[in-house]
Amino acid sequence: MPREIAIGGVLIPGLLVWFLLSLALLLLFDWVVGRYGLYRFVWHPALFRLAFFVCIFGSVALLLY
Amino acid sequence: MSVTEAKAVASSRRELIAATLREETATWLFVLKSLLAFYITGWLAMRLELPQPSTAMLTTIIVANRQTGMVLAKSFYRGIGTLVGALAGFLIVALFPQQRVLFLTAMSLWIGLCAGGATLYRNFKAYAFVLAGYTAAIVALPVIDHPLEVFNSAVFRMSEVLLGLGVSGAVHDLIFPRRIRDDMRRLARTQFANFIDFVQRAMAGKVARPDIENAHLRFVRDAVTLEDLRSSVIFEDPEARARSGHIMMLNQRFMAASTSLQSLHHLINRLKRKGHDVPANALIELYGPISEALDAPIEAGAAARVLLPRLQSARKAMDLHRPALRAGLRSDSDLLDFDTGVTLLDQFAGELYDYVDISSALQAPTLVGPAERVHFERGNDYIGSTIAFVRTTLAMGALSLFWIGSAWPYGSSAMLIATVFAGLFAAAPNPSLAVRETFTGYLLGMAVCFVCLFYVLPEMDGFSLLIAGSAPFLMVGLALMAAPATTRVGVGYCMGFAYILGTKNQMVFDVMNFLNDMIAQLIGVASAGISFVIIPPAIGSIWFIHRQLDRLRRQVGSAATAPLTGLRSRFESMNHDLFGQIVAQTERGSQASRNLLAWALSVHEMGRTLIELRNQMANRSLPGEVHGAITRAIDALARLYEQPSVVSYEHALHALSAATVMTSRDPSMHTLMDYLHLLRLALVDDQSVLAEYMRSKTLANGATHAA
Repeated sequence: MPREIAIGGVLIPGLLVWFLLSLALLLLFDWVVGRYGLYRFVWHPALFRLAFFVCIFGSVALLLY
Repeated sequence: MSVTEAKAVASSRRELIAATLREETATWLFVLKSLLAFYITGWLAMRLELPQPSTAMLTTIIVANRQTGMVLAKSFYRGIGTLVGALAGFLIVALFPQQRVLFLTAMSLWIGLCAGGATLYRNFKAYAFVLAGYTAAIVALPVIDHPLEVFNSAVFRMSEVLLGLGVSGAVHDLIFPRRIRDDMRRLARTQFANFIDFVQRAMAGKVARPDIENAHLRFVRDAVTLEDLRSSVIFEDPEARARSGHIMMLNQRFMAASTSLQSLHHLINRLKRKGHDVPANALIELYGPISEALDAPIEAGAAARVLLPRLQSARKAMDLHRPALRAGLRSDSDLLDFDTGVTLLDQFAGELYDYVDISSALQAPTLVGPAERVHFERGNDYIGSTIAFVRTTLAMGALSLFWIGSAWPYGSSAMLIATVFAGLFAAAPNPSLAVRETFTGYLLGMAVCFVCLFYVLPEMDGFSLLIAGSAPFLMVGLALMAAPATTRVGVGYCMGFAYILGTKNQMVFDVMNFLNDMIAQLIGVASAGISFVIIPPAIGSIWFIHRQLDRLRRQVGSAATAPLTGLRSRFESMNHDLFGQIVAQTERGSQASRNLLAWALSVHEMGRTLIELRNQMANRSLPGEVHGAITRAIDALARLYEQPSVVSYEHALHALSAATVMTSRDPSMHTLMDYLHLLRLALVDDQSVLAEYMRSKTLANGATHAA
């Protein structure tokens, strides 16, 4: 996978794209969890979300680099 | 308003100290969190070797707020605005790379458009527009001599801002977050308790008419506040996002029920004033069970659910009691009055039940089923935004001319700041004052930064000493920001400080450059202020109030003609938004505000009844002539509100009478008849705002003039 993606001749850093993708995944996760109120079982929901996001983004980035 | 007994019990000294400490802790927590975000961002930006770490650091200051949800909401819109603005800046440079006049014209137009867009909204969406405007300037102006650099400029700006947003979002969300969710839950609960309590007292006959109107005003404010909180809370809490639809629904039903209650009370008051005591008393007796049903202790928890069966049985009791009461009435007009009241009462009871139902669903730990989608419509005014557009474009144009004419090397700096402030304050209620306060803060921040930059920082080496050297200066500004009275001075201070400090990997200590930049920025802030003096914002002026009144009245027209699907909720929320704006922009208790309030209530009542009437008409097939007569009456009413005058009043009254006569021939259309009667009662109410246009009243006035 290339590190930079060309859109119309303009180079876009690949990480940015993966970042947005991870963000979308996080939102999807949030939606499911919020719908069923599962965050109640987590000690610090915000920390949990951040950690979860770091995990997704980190694994996507590692897979590609 | 409800009776508020002054608290006789003075709080003990101990409680006072505890409260002060709590408040102080919150303030210093805010200061520390903001500092943390500020320096983490700076460190990261320097490690990532971004060209301007100060931009990223400034971002954390700009989005700093004591409440987590506000930080996240503002960050979200700032992010969107930055992306759009960077794109626009890139396009403008790409279109006019070597033509400074066209370039600056396009830039001024774009910024003006964004400022105009910002005045259409009253929450953070406005902020996204402002950002889209000045980000374009920030991206394009510094590279005006090297157009090829624009892409890098845009990408760097985006990375810096997004980095700042990410860090402050994380810091404010993770470390001792202060959630709006709790505030909102409290507000929704109090709103519910207040409303139920109010209905209970009103139905037991313990509230006077002016109090009912005041309470209605308060309910409107609550509904608008709740909607604003809801739009921010969805960013901080996924669960709140899932409940967002229900909250909207709650608000919608709340508005519906409070309006019906208002109409019902007006009806009874009117009947009593006209001496129709018999039907009025019958109605009061009829709704007794509702008051009894609501007379249950409301505490936090499952209170709403407790009310549901009680309301249900109250409605049954009313149904059982009705024939007996009706039989007690003798004349035809009494019967008509009573039936009209019953229709309204049924409507209110249904809405109240729905409201309590959705409250109980929200109070339950898990939601069942998705909510029906509703939309909180805003009453936007395009004239206000056109003025903002013209003002900002002209200010930018003038600065551009000055810049071109004088070949001032710091012109871009001045223009940037002017852009930022002209946009930021376009929607403020008193922008001149806001700019003045910010200007003071800005000056202060820059002066302090001078000390920090040239006396303290040169002695320091390394990042930790940079923090040690600058944090005390910045703390002052953040503490100012935390106090509501000095927020704007504080924001100005922090922005001025962080902006001119210009933290970079390679710090430059150049006094001449500093002073030049300082002067340019101060001129920028001042020219934004001047632009507000030359073309004052329309918001709050008498002309604007008249305009809003006009729009409010035209709401009746939209109730009379707009397509019916979803009209009721659209009408309600638009009305409440307009109403809320008017309330916010007029002085409490002034003649203007009383007048507006009277009109708003009249419009609301009339519009609601018209919509119900039209709904009834749509549900059945009517003989052509009846349909025509009612349609004519509806049109006449719409015209009366659009252009209130004695003539249009008379016309509406005649059209309504004709429709009533037409309808009364057919007993199967008694529901329509009830609504027509309701309209008529509202029209001939001599204490409503329409009384001015009644012929008898004008005659009486004329007589006194003649005498």
